[in-house]
Amino acid sequence: MTRETETGHNLWRMLAPLTIWALHFLACYVAAAILCAKYPQIADLSPLRHLIFLVTFLAVAGVAYIGFSTLRIWRYSLDGDLDYDHDTPEERHRFLAHVTLMLCALSVIGILYVAIPAAIIGSCR
Amino acid sequence: MKMGGVCKIAVVCLFGFGLQGCSGERSALDPAGKEAEELAKLFWIMLSGAGIVWLFVLLATFAAVRFPSSTFAGIRPGLFIFISGVIFPTICLGGLLVHSLRLLPGARDAKADMIVKVSGEQWWWRVSYMSPGGEDVVSANEIRIPSDATVEFELTSPDIIHSFWIPVLGGKMDMIPGRTNHLRLHPEKAGVYRGVCAEYCGTSHALMGFPVVVQTQAEFDAWLKLEKSDAVPPGSPAAINGERLFMSTGCRACHTVRGTEARGQIGPDLTHFGGRKTVGAGILANTSANVEKWLRDTGKVKPAVRMPEFNMLHSGETRDLAAYLTGLK
Repeated sequence: MTRETETGHNLWRMLAPLTIWALHFLACYVAAAILCAKYPQIADLSPLRHLIFLVTFLAVAGVAYIGFSTLRIWRYSLDGDLDYDHDTPEERHRFLAHVTLMLCALSVIGILYVAIPAAIIGSCR
Repeated sequence: MKMGGVCKIAVVCLFGFGLQGCSGERSALDPAGKEAEELAKLFWIMLSGAGIVWLFVLLATFAAVRFPSSTFAGIRPGLFIFISGVIFPTICLGGLLVHSLRLLPGARDAKADMIVKVSGEQWWWRVSYMSPGGEDVVSANEIRIPSDATVEFELTSPDIIHSFWIPVLGGKMDMIPGRTNHLRLHPEKAGVYRGVCAEYCGTSHALMGFPVVVQTQAEFDAWLKLEKSDAVPPGSPAAINGERLFMSTGCRACHTVRGTEARGQIGPDLTHFGGRKTVGAGILANTSANVEKWLRDTGKVKPAVRMPEFNMLHSGETRDLAAYLTGLK
């Protein structure tokens, strides 16, 4: 079976979880800041909470999709060892897949930590 | 004395000094309010957790050095690092995040029993108590609140950022120009405590404190009624001369003494100055001698303060002025 190994495809895949995390962070904080600044008399995040939960669900689902598809590549590239010290396309794929998986885990934690204040506090104060 | 003896004494002294921070009028570890109690509990939980992790790392290091590597043949290094370096910290930090978010003042629904507005000035505190259906009761450099009541502080500043902190009652909150921050505290033990500015705000930042008097509701109501009233006219000849000097030497341009012609707004309200515990925002005890010192050497007592020194007055005049001010009960 032949695969394109020099397309740089995995590099974009590696950056995607971090990008989703950053966009989720911006969406939550910008929306909360605008709501709290425009309606200080309400001082309550309740109207926004469901939106934040929805965005969080979508972000986690997006990262999970990238994670599971990367897991398939990682397993495919194992070839019986976990080594990625050599300058070969196969080991480069394996390395990028490994890093992407770790970044997916980190991004999920980051996304959930960003959403926790909205779940617990729910206030502009 | 041998070197070992000196070391032992040094350790005991340092430990003793360290323990000083565990109690007293400004120790967050000696709480007198609900919020401070929760924070102190969180501190001990985190300290215990950190201590356990520290011991575990020390023991692991000791075991790695002391025993041959064959002893650990059953442990998969990758899995060990993943569990203790990724899973464990993530769960711990997540738990602490949830717990500490619950402690944030805004997370509670408690309704405030009273509102106190505090403005951080350079370098003193403008305080006003909101009275229902009436005018605010203006005071300065001292805060009095009833015990077993939820007090909401509305915090702001006209020029630079300060931070309002009463360690024995709860966490700190920034006072930001153009913004009003809210802090709710629920004192439980009556007593006299100390508040400070916890954000560097200029030359005399470290000299910007205030006493906090927590008293029973009845005592507080009586005090607030007195604080609301106009100043008592001076009785003694010295105090009468002091009032004359106060009105003629420029003090009234900056200070208010309700019930007199003094209506200045730049400096602290002095209507009931004599009833306060300190002079110069928590620096000196409120005695005649210290008031005289403040009037004479203002810039030495509080460097870069905006109030000019009144050292052009002779000692008799300074004494009379101090008699007038300390008589404003």
